[in-house]
Amino acid sequence: MRASLPVSSPSPDRRTFLKVGALAGGGLLVGTFFRWGNATAFAQTAPATAAGFAPNAFISITPSGAVSLIAPNSEMGQGAKTALPMIIAEELDVPWEKVTVTQGDLNRAYGQQFAVGSMSTPGNYNPLRQAGATARAMLVAAAAQTWGVPAADCTTESGYVVHATSGRRLGYGALTATAATLAVPQGVAVKSPNDFKLLGTRVPGVDNEKIVTGQALFGIDQVLPGMVYAAYVKCRVFGGKPISANLDEVKKLSGVRDAFILDGITGLMPGVAIVADSTWNAFSAADQLKVQWDEGAAVAESSETMAKQAAALAQGAAATAAALPEGAKGVEASYHYPFLPHATLEPQNCTAVFKGGVMEMWVPTQIPSAGQGLVTAGLGLAAGNVTVHVTRLGGGFGRRGSNEYSLEVAAIAKKLEGTPVKLTWTREQDMAHDNNYRSNGWHFFKGGVDATGKVVALNDYFVKMQGGPGDMTAGTFPFNVVRGAAVQAGKINGTIRTGYWRAPGDNGNIWATQSFVDELAHAAGRDPLEFTLDLLAPLSAPPAPPAAEAGGLPSVFPGAGAPGALGGPAGAGGVGARGGGGRGGRGGGGGFAASRMVAVLKLATEKAGWGKKLPRGQGQGLAITFTNNSYVAIVAEVTVSPQGELKVTRLTAAVDAGLVVNLSSAESQVQGAMVDGIGAAWFLKATVEKGALAQTNFDQYPLIRMENAPPAVEVHFIKSVAAPTGLGEPGLPPAAPAVCNAIFAAIGKRIRTLPIADTDLKWA
Amino acid sequence: MSNFNLNVNGSARSVDVADNTPLLWVLRDTLGLVGTKFGCGIGECGACTVHLDGSPAKSCSFTVKEAANAMITTIEGLAPAGQLTALQQAWCRLDVPQCGYCQGGQLMCATALLAAKPKPTDADIDNAMGNICRCATYTRIRQAIHAAASA
Repeated sequence: MRASLPVSSPSPDRRTFLKVGALAGGGLLVGTFFRWGNATAFAQTAPATAAGFAPNAFISITPSGAVSLIAPNSEMGQGAKTALPMIIAEELDVPWEKVTVTQGDLNRAYGQQFAVGSMSTPGNYNPLRQAGATARAMLVAAAAQTWGVPAADCTTESGYVVHATSGRRLGYGALTATAATLAVPQGVAVKSPNDFKLLGTRVPGVDNEKIVTGQALFGIDQVLPGMVYAAYVKCRVFGGKPISANLDEVKKLSGVRDAFILDGITGLMPGVAIVADSTWNAFSAADQLKVQWDEGAAVAESSETMAKQAAALAQGAAATAAALPEGAKGVEASYHYPFLPHATLEPQNCTAVFKGGVMEMWVPTQIPSAGQGLVTAGLGLAAGNVTVHVTRLGGGFGRRGSNEYSLEVAAIAKKLEGTPVKLTWTREQDMAHDNNYRSNGWHFFKGGVDATGKVVALNDYFVKMQGGPGDMTAGTFPFNVVRGAAVQAGKINGTIRTGYWRAPGDNGNIWATQSFVDELAHAAGRDPLEFTLDLLAPLSAPPAPPAAEAGGLPSVFPGAGAPGALGGPAGAGGVGARGGGGRGGRGGGGGFAASRMVAVLKLATEKAGWGKKLPRGQGQGLAITFTNNSYVAIVAEVTVSPQGELKVTRLTAAVDAGLVVNLSSAESQVQGAMVDGIGAAWFLKATVEKGALAQTNFDQYPLIRMENAPPAVEVHFIKSVAAPTGLGEPGLPPAAPAVCNAIFAAIGKRIRTLPIADTDLKWA
Repeated sequence: MSNFNLNVNGSARSVDVADNTPLLWVLRDTLGLVGTKFGCGIGECGACTVHLDGSPAKSCSFTVKEAANAMITTIEGLAPAGQLTALQQAWCRLDVPQCGYCQGGQLMCATALLAAKPKPTDADIDNAMGNICRCATYTRIRQAIHAAASA
């Protein structure tokens, strides 16, 4: 083995690079190859080329044939730790059972390491194929050189190079010494996806055994010798800060080592730090803390006043709205959804130790570089002096793109130089201080259908919090297919921080627009499936020349996606067309293709038995999205009892996400996203009262449980060899509108405010 | 601070902690058994589920003192070293975990369920499996319980 664990080194010097380059026979990622850290560590663990073959940062093969692969992106349940090494293994042509996977720490050699925007697989698919194919080519060249035959006459077979003509074969391990002396070839051809053997199969997660036996994996499980435990108490009112606290009393409590106020650090929300000899003693001491807070201006803010502002904004806009075409039947409706914290089940936490000017951190993070940047800047550390080890995440959902908890613990660790510190948030803190709640939102729709059932008018006045993702434009389906359709936006100022929550923007916008499409279909007396297919029809036509007249049909591919960047990473996929409904941007490349949307609509409705006759109290509903460049159609089936008890009995999804890498996790992602989506829409609501989040724990934020999870949740994938697109998020947006549309079909009651649980579903 | 003698996973363990310390934090911070997870601290999510004398209990919601006379089993002690129970095997094979954070608690509940009802119905599963899975892996949890029950 070259090294037991990759050493994260944020500042490679030229000497290190050249040394590694010489030992490893050159790096695939020339100029960024510094996986092995400082030269001393390297020399200790890999004294000679005979120790193995490591053609690039992702792959090492020992002389005995053991294959070790790096999973570059953090694992938060989306399956990246299994799927990404599978891509390498496929091209390298090694048996999966023989592969050992190691979580990559933050290291520029690993390329795109952020796990946001459903980009882990789409963003790494081609680079990792190339990494695997290049290593395979070098092993083939080594065998050819050994046998004195042309490389073109050699093939590979599950970890062996084979020369069929002579019947000779050599294992990869036996070839490592020779392969390590070869120059790294450029532009090596990758396999045809039609020849994939591993990708597309069901591969269980690489950490499953550790998970089911309770082994340490997560950030919160991190333990270091001599470690102390911290709590960090902030003002419940957004933007508030401590003025003074009974620190002397708290310091005297049993098990407490220290207590101090942290303020004036760039990027850090001021608060009171308590350091103790156990998590419980830190939490208990925090309960005894008496703080005089400066609550700031946010204390006047509430969800109630925000709702009034939204209504007033919409009223102002209504005065200037265009009139309905003559003879059209008007449909008006307003939709509202609330704030949502992410509520990752593992509360935010981080462990850090500061020694010799270097901050070493163990971070459950979706963007490892974000915490590194925050800590470097906030604490004024020298560039390159913050090391980030990536732990498993007990859920992400967009929450852990923000890494402010790593700055909190780093600020504490800096004061306790030499002593490792673990900071753990309580659930109450996690609810109160989510750094990017899902924004509340209001859609005020006005539409019209003519006598033939065609949509002739469509307007939306959309209100959300200022800032953050999730803006909607007239490029959104079906606005982009209705002549003269318009989306106007109003913004509410508030101190609460809103941002990325699983399927940002789409998680609310698709619920509202797909529900309103259903309203239009019913107003037109049409079947929602046929109605949607008709709406998609103009997008299926070949691109037309730009409309000559003003107010003509908008561009078919307006490219009006969400901003492409989040926090640190630039160029996270840019923007995309939005033909299917949602946010096309990120989650892989490619524009919208209506034919792919039609295909998932047809597949989902066929599998669900769309249109079957059902008695009152039972209904089917349909919704679609184009999110992260993936196409999803969902049919929900519900039962509503005369007393108003809702059961979601079946969810059927059809998905086109391009090539499916790991069928097991892909299916699981879509199942989980759908149930997450209906759970949030059914039960979850967070409100702001007096400038703070009113809900404090799961008793007031009732996440969906087994008894309400649908007994049947089916996922059907379109078979495809197209480049993979996003899978962690796209299953979520259409689930809630499909359920709400099914409720309407069952009992004729339209859900226009979330959560559904706030609506009385008793039969009229 | 008091001394407590515990029986954890068949071993006698002695700990010195504050009397009001929940069993959860004794397991995690004092005994290093981190498979039992902290999720909410109020007995709502069930990530901290252990067995007390074979019955599921939320270890965030009672003190170490209250657990001192019971046989405590954690996820680490569910199967003999190096082996997996039928449920753990089904969990791995059917690839139940997503993030995995709640799954230890889910397995503690499922183990108790199968001990009481070797062939549970869907309604039995609804009743016994009340823990939160934030990734909503409920479909596969249900499948895995049925699979282990018929193994």
